[in-house]
Formats: sequence, structure tokens, C-alpha cells
Amino acid sequence: MLVMNDIKKVFRTDLVETHALRDFNLQVDEGDFVAVTGPSGSGKTTFLNIAGLLETFEGGQYLLDGQDVSQLNDKARSQLRNEKIGFIFQSFNLIPDLDLFDNVDVPLRYRGFNAAERKRRIESALEMVGLANRMKHLPAQLSGGQQQRVAIARALAGEPRFLLADEPTGNLDTKMAHSVMELLKEINQAGTTIVMVTHDPSLARDAKRNIYVRDGKVSELHSVGQELPDAANA
Amino acid sequence: MLEIGPIFRALMRNKVGAVLIAIQIAITMTIIVNSVFMIVERNEKMQRQSGLDEANTFHISSVGFGEGFNPRSTVEADLAQLRALPGVVDAIQINALPISGGGWSMGLQTEPGAEHDGTGVAVYMVDEHGINALDVEVIAGENFAPSDIRWRASRSPTWPNKVILTKAMVEKLFPDSPWADAVGKTVYINDNDPMIISGIIDKLQAPWVGWDNVENAMLSPERMEFTATRYLIRTQPGQRDRLMPEVEEMLASSNKQRVIRGMRTVEEDRERSYRGDSAMIKILTTVMVILTIVTALGIVGLASFSVNRRRKQIGTRRALGASQGAILRYFMLENFLISSVGVVLGAGLTIGLNILLVNTFEMNPMNWYYIPIGMLVLWLVGQVAVYGPARRAAGIAPATATRTV
Repeated sequence: MLVMNDIKKVFRTDLVETHALRDFNLQVDEGDFVAVTGPSGSGKTTFLNIAGLLETFEGGQYLLDGQDVSQLNDKARSQLRNEKIGFIFQSFNLIPDLDLFDNVDVPLRYRGFNAAERKRRIESALEMVGLANRMKHLPAQLSGGQQQRVAIARALAGEPRFLLADEPTGNLDTKMAHSVMELLKEINQAGTTIVMVTHDPSLARDAKRNIYVRDGKVSELHSVGQELPDAANA
Repeated sequence: MLEIGPIFRALMRNKVGAVLIAIQIAITMTIIVNSVFMIVERNEKMQRQSGLDEANTFHISSVGFGEGFNPRSTVEADLAQLRALPGVVDAIQINALPISGGGWSMGLQTEPGAEHDGTGVAVYMVDEHGINALDVEVIAGENFAPSDIRWRASRSPTWPNKVILTKAMVEKLFPDSPWADAVGKTVYINDNDPMIISGIIDKLQAPWVGWDNVENAMLSPERMEFTATRYLIRTQPGQRDRLMPEVEEMLASSNKQRVIRGMRTVEEDRERSYRGDSAMIKILTTVMVILTIVTALGIVGLASFSVNRRRKQIGTRRALGASQGAILRYFMLENFLISSVGVVLGAGLTIGLNILLVNTFEMNPMNWYYIPIGMLVLWLVGQVAVYGPARRAAGIAPATATRTV
């Protein structure tokens, strides 16, 4: 499903070169729920950006669903992102001027679905996250947990094979975080592959697999139940 | 897929900037379209032909003084000298000059009697050389014969019994019959003095370019026995500037009992008469250019602000599958919608201002096609102005979506 071999990513300025990822290797199989932990600056978000085709990389090979993505142009990468990947962001990233219906509609329009198909998918996705009755509300009228649920609905409406979550509970209180985590587990059980970046070891324990990233490399792999390092103090 | 619905709904929820730009576009369109209409009208007015061979014609005044000054012999001698000059096509004594700003006008009527209204006409007193010197064409009837020419004394109230009229004047006097049939008909000047139309000329404008009857002119067969007089000289092509000082010198030296002055080309007369129109065109053009630039900068400013404010949102859209082209289209379309509101509002305001101008300044009503052309231009200005900010938006990296600062 997702295979990264010796991925390298370097950020350059006039003064410094920062190796965000070096010889990064990872394989995520279909149906996996992988939690990626690590200290700040370890390369978690860079990994997520590359996995989600949000950034390019300098070296190595990345196969997404068997397709080598390194030579794709912007249009092809955008299309692949739209069709195969769903994103959940820490800050929800809903568009404040659009109501819930239009927010969930955003990726579906880029997909080129007709109006009836989009409506069906939007209603179904919002129904799944329990917000079908709030379709005409603006994001600002919802709680943080509800906004993240809308973001999840938006990510799932296109029925992606692969869900990337960047600290999905980072801006939520414990109760909301638990609720969102339960929803992600349900989505995973329904067959969607999930890769989640998190600082929270307790959330990571809910995933099927844990990856610990340090200095741009996958330094430790844990199976469920093993003790994880405290990311914040690592 | 075009996002007209979501963009429109989003604009409606955050509309202050968009409404201000739409109003700016509307005002700009109103002023630009009406200005263009006025410029085109003024330009058409300035392009009208006077009927003269303007590039090769000039005029000069002679003012006699002293008891021994004989106007009649002076005019005869001057014309003989002028016509004999190599390079001169023809020369005449004339009382007034087309498009010069000053001249004589009378009223002509088809029935005698003070109870009838006359039609205003510019009067040019010329001899049989008038047709050639003015470079007009007799399109019906005939030119004056030398025997038709009389001498007019100063303050003489009488008129010759023949007249040549412009075609435009004939059509006003006899609107119900073919213009060529007017030859031989009688018109009346000074209410009751009859003049027989001996010829019709194609075109000759009056001295006053802003006059409603500017195309109404008559040639009266007379020379003037006045102390102050004026000569119109038509030269061969390219000879005018060489002949002007020569003529001035010749006239000044041939008779010491007069002053030669006021020598000007007809082109200078045209420039003087249309100076106001020319200045108006320049002012309106400047206002249009400045307004267009200000409006374009306003659009650039709003779009740039919008792009900077929505960097995260753009990154999110990119992350959700928008290509760079889709982001570019989004901002172009957003501007198109704002511009559409502006130009529709502008169309109404443009018509309103035109009605106001028509009623207040007796301008002509604007042709309908100015409105859609104005809308297209403003749409285009908007699209060009927003292209830069839209390109910058399209260049925002999708990874911006995951950045927390």
C-alpha cells in the first residue's frame, strides 16, 4: 500500500541544510492503522507530507498503491492525492466561509463528481460522523470535536484508500480526543488504512502498529502493547 | 469543476471587501464608458471636414488707413498680384473664414415675410473664384459669372439676387423635394429680399464649429469695399509655408497705406477652434487611465490580501486535491463574480449618468453597444489584475496545510 525506501528530504536555506528525513524506510500494508510518534523536529510531519504527496523528496523511492510517485507532475500528484488520500489536520483546516456541506464538498468537486453524487456522498459522510443535521452550519458554530468530525467526513467522502492524520486530537480535550479516536478506529475497521502522527503515547497505543521516528529515521518499531518512549521527552 | 456556488456563498458571508471592489468597478465603468462615448463624439466632431483644402490654405488681413486709401482698387490690385504668384492656386477676398470662430450669419426662408422663420446660414461673400479658392465643388447649377459679382459698400443693407448654397442648407430649406431641384428656386434673406439659388456646393462649414447649423453656408457674389478686409489664398500642395512670408511681404510692400496682419493657416484655425474639444479628450483620457489603474490596483490589493489571509486554506485545498490550475481558476472566478456584480451595477449607473448628461447638457444618447463593450473591458481589467495574485496563490505549497505557523 505505502512503501518508502531510503527516502531523503533536505531543507535548505542560504545558511543551513537540515536533513529532515534520511534513509527513511517504511511499509504500510492495506488495512493497517499506524501511529507515528517522535519528538518535535524528528521528521514526523515531513514524513506525513511526503506520504501525502504534499512535498517532494530528494532521494529514495516511494510507491503509493504500487505507483512510483517521484516523477509525477503537480497535476498528477494532485489527482492522486484527491483520489487515494484523505487528510485530517490538527487544526481541522475547515474553510471558515463555507458551511459544512460545502466544506465536505471541496475534494469532491476536484474529483469531478456530478452534483447528485456529491450530495449523496456529503450526506452519507456527515451522517457517519453524526452531523447530518448541521449541514448548513458554519465551522465557527461547532465545537472543536465537531469540527474535527467534519474534517473526517471531508476526508472520507471521497472514499480514499488511505487516511493521513496529523495530530488529529492535538487541539481537542481528552473526551473529544477519545471520541475522535474511536471514530478513527471504526473507520479503520471498515477497511481504510490509517497513518496517524501523534505526540500522545496513549493514543498511539490504540493503533495496530507504532513507529518511532528520531532524527529523520525510523528508529524503532513497536507492535501493539509494547512500551513507547515519551515523545515529548525523547 | 467550476465552484461558482461555493465561491458566491463564501463571498456573501464575507462581503465588505468584495462589495467595495464591485462598487469601485461600477463607478469606474460608469465614468469610463461615458468618457469614451464623449471622446468618440468629440473626435467625430473634430474629424468633420470643413470643405476647404485645409493643408494648403491660409488667410491674411489687410487694414487700410489714411484718407488716400482706396479699398476697391487695393482689393483689385491685391487679388491680381496674389493670383499671379507662382504656387498660388487661387485667391479671394472673403468676409469670414470657415471653422475660424468668427463670421457672419443670416436667416434664409422659402417664403417672404417677417412672419416666417428663417434657417440660420453662414454668409461667405466671394467672387467667381470662390469655388476654386475654397476647394468646393458645384454639384448642381453653376458657379457665379464675373458679371454676377457686385461691390458691397460698408453697412449696405441690400443683397445680390443670386446665391450658392451648401447641399445641407438646401436639404433644410426644402426637406420634401430632391436637393438638386432647388436650383432656380428663390429664397429670401432679410425677410423679403429674394435670392435665386444659382448653384449647390457639396460642403462648406460655418465659422462656428459648435453651431448646430455648422453645415449651413451660402456664397454671396460680392466683393467688399471695406477698409479692413481679408484674403484667403489656396496654394499648390507643399507651397503654403513658402508662400506665406512671401505674400505677407508682397502685400505689405505693395501699398503703404495699410497694415498686413493676422496671417494664419486654416490648420491653425482648426486647432484653435477645437482646442477645447482636444483638451477635453486629453482630460477624459487621463481620468480614464488613472481610474482604470486605481481600480486594477484595488483588485490586486484585495486579491493579494485575500491570498495572504487564506494561505492555510489554499494549502488545504491543494492537500485535498486542487491542482495549481484549480487554485488559479478559483481566484480568477472569484474576481469574475465580483466584477460581474460591478459591471451589472455599472451598466445601470452608466445609463443613468448618460440620461443625466443628455438631459442636462443636451448630449446625444449613448449607443447601446458601449455598455457590453464597457462590461467586457472591465471584466478583462479584473482578470488581468487578479492574475498575478492568483498565480501567487497557485504557487502556495500544499504542505502549508500541515504547518502550524
